[in-house]
Parts: sequence; structure tokens; C-alpha cells
Amino acid sequence: MRGLDTSIRVVHMKIEIQEMTHNKGRIVFLDADPSIVNAIRRTMISDVPKMAIEKIEYHLGAIMDEGGKEFESVSPLFDEMIAHRLGLLPVPTDLDVFVFRSKCVCNGEGCPNCTIMYSLNKKGPCTVYSGDLEPLGDAKFKIKDDLVPIVKLNENQAILAYATAELSTGKDHAKYSPVCGVGHRYSAKISIDSAKCDHDARCIAVCPKDVFSKEGKKIVVAHPERCNLCMACVESCELNCVKVQEDPQRIVFRYETDGSLSAKDLLMRSLKILEEKFTGFSEQISALQE
Amino acid sequence: MIIPVRCFTCGKVIGGVYEEFLRRVQMGEKPNEVMDALGIDRYCCRRIFLTHVELVDEIAPYG
Ligand SMILES: [Zn+2]
Ligand SMILES: [Zn+2]
Repeated sequence: MRGLDTSIRVVHMKIEIQEMTHNKGRIVFLDADPSIVNAIRRTMISDVPKMAIEKIEYHLGAIMDEGGKEFESVSPLFDEMIAHRLGLLPVPTDLDVFVFRSKCVCNGEGCPNCTIMYSLNKKGPCTVYSGDLEPLGDAKFKIKDDLVPIVKLNENQAILAYATAELSTGKDHAKYSPVCGVGHRYSAKISIDSAKCDHDARCIAVCPKDVFSKEGKKIVVAHPERCNLCMACVESCELNCVKVQEDPQRIVFRYETDGSLSAKDLLMRSLKILEEKFTGFSEQISALQE
Repeated sequence: MIIPVRCFTCGKVIGGVYEEFLRRVQMGEKPNEVMDALGIDRYCCRRIFLTHVELVDEIAPYG
């Protein structure tokens, strides 16, 4: 490996967690490179695994209820479409418990370590909701959002189906991506030249995020963290007293989970996966150098 | 047809709050305020709520 610079650039970055609720996170990276933050983003999207419904078996033909009334196993939507809608539902995932089906001790046959089974049994007229999916086994695997409409059933229509959820990553299908609305941008550096300002407050009126406010006569930057760099204030100010700049030292990173994992678990897991990848990479490089 | 389970663009699970959104808008609340209250923040998710046409009831008899 002659000619290759293998010296390591040490980055001393700091992390400031501004928001961390069950399914939302907002983190500021100080003195970090955008490539590092982007690596976390890409890992979250495509490498952190989660459970999602993968296989559905429909009962076809007549369905009888307790009173002997006969229902037809049809609905306004195609079975494929219902299967697709079921697949998109957020299935609660414990990454310390579940393993990939193909790598499981059951050799892919399906067992409580790699799959979750659900049953769906509903007779019309009604709306079938995600909450009607009953987990076979532990009730903690009930779908996170139980009010998602799956399909509507008319008189004499019914649905009887068994669904199997399994673990995979966003690379395989977008339904396995635990994150939504993930992105990063530079933080805004806003300044107002009070000497030039005519206190007309055009920037207050035009700002969609209410960044500015008035203190007496003076216009102040009250919430710079809300700014999304739309530059409406700069354009509205004819005296050029508002200045908005990107601050490369501060990268704001925001993400949301679909509910299957908590925001904190998702962040920790993505960092762990990144670490494993880099360790593997550096081992391969040192094997080459020998 | 029927409200999408997720936002086409960002992937947020939005189907679960659509019926509450409809109910509250029909009670006379402003759609933008209801969406703010329900946590539908991004414009990709908001356009799905605002432009959705519920047709599933029309085709249900032909299932
Ligand atoms: Zn197994
Ligand atoms: Zn969206």
C-alpha cells in the first residue's frame, strides 16, 4: 500500500441533543464534517433493521360467523393492495430479541426469535383498522398505531387472514426503514444591523418561522434555531440590515421514527452499526498491508 | 381510494390520524390548525391530507 496516506484525521466533535422524545430527535453536531452526519443518516435509512409484515395468507371462499351467517371473502380492494397496506404498518421491534430469519436457529422456518404472527378476522359492514390485527402470542407486539384504516368492508363481506412479520433492512424494502423525515442542514447565523434598521418590522411579518421579535422598538433575533434559511427576511429588507449565513460549525440533524423503534434506540443502533462497519473495514485494510 | 398508510415522500405513518382530521374539519376547525395539532408538520404529508379523495365507499358494492 505504498503512496496511500493512512494517517487518521481526528475530529473532535461535540453533540448537543436539543430534542429526544419517543419518536423524534433533534441533534446539533458542533465542529463535525457533513460527511459524518450524512453517514449516520444513511445508516438510519438503510442499515438499521426493523420488523414488518412480509407474508399474508388469506382465507378464500365462504366465511361463517357464530350465528351461521355466511360472508364472502371479498373486499373493495385487491388482496395485493391490502397486503401492501399491512406491510407498511409499524410493527414494534426489540432489536435485542429478534434476528434475521435466514440467520435464525430455526433455519428460516419461522420461530418466536425471528417472526411475529398476526391474525385478522373482521366481518362487514365495518372499517378494518390496524388495531384489529391480533398478535398470536405476546400482546406487546400489537401494531403501534391502531387507527390506520386498512380496508372498508360492505354488507356480507369479510376478511380472514394470517400475517407474518419478519426482520429486514431498508435496503430490502422501504417498509423496513425505521426512520422518516431524516435530514441535516447547517444552522443559521442571523444578525441585524440596528444602525441601518428603520424598525419597520417587514422581516417579522415575512418570516414563516417567527424567528424575529420586537423588544420595544428594536428588532431582535429571538429564535435563530427555528430558521430554515428561506431568506425571505433578507429579500424583504430593502436596507440590507438583515444578514443570514450558514454556520458550517453547527450541523442540525433531525429525524423521526415510524414508531417501531424509539428515537434513542435508533440512534444508538445506527452508531453501533457504523462502528462495526468501520472496524471491519480497518481490519481488511490491515490485512492488505501485511 | 382509501387514505395511504404512509406519506409517499417521507414515509411517516399518517393514515391513523386521517379520520380525526376529517371529523375535526367537518366540525368547523381550520385544516391547517388541525394538521399542526396532529403533528403533520411537513408539506409532503400535508398535501396528502388536503388532496385526498375518499372513493372506497363508492366502489365497495362492486367488491
Ligand atoms: Zn427463527
Ligand atoms: Zn411526508
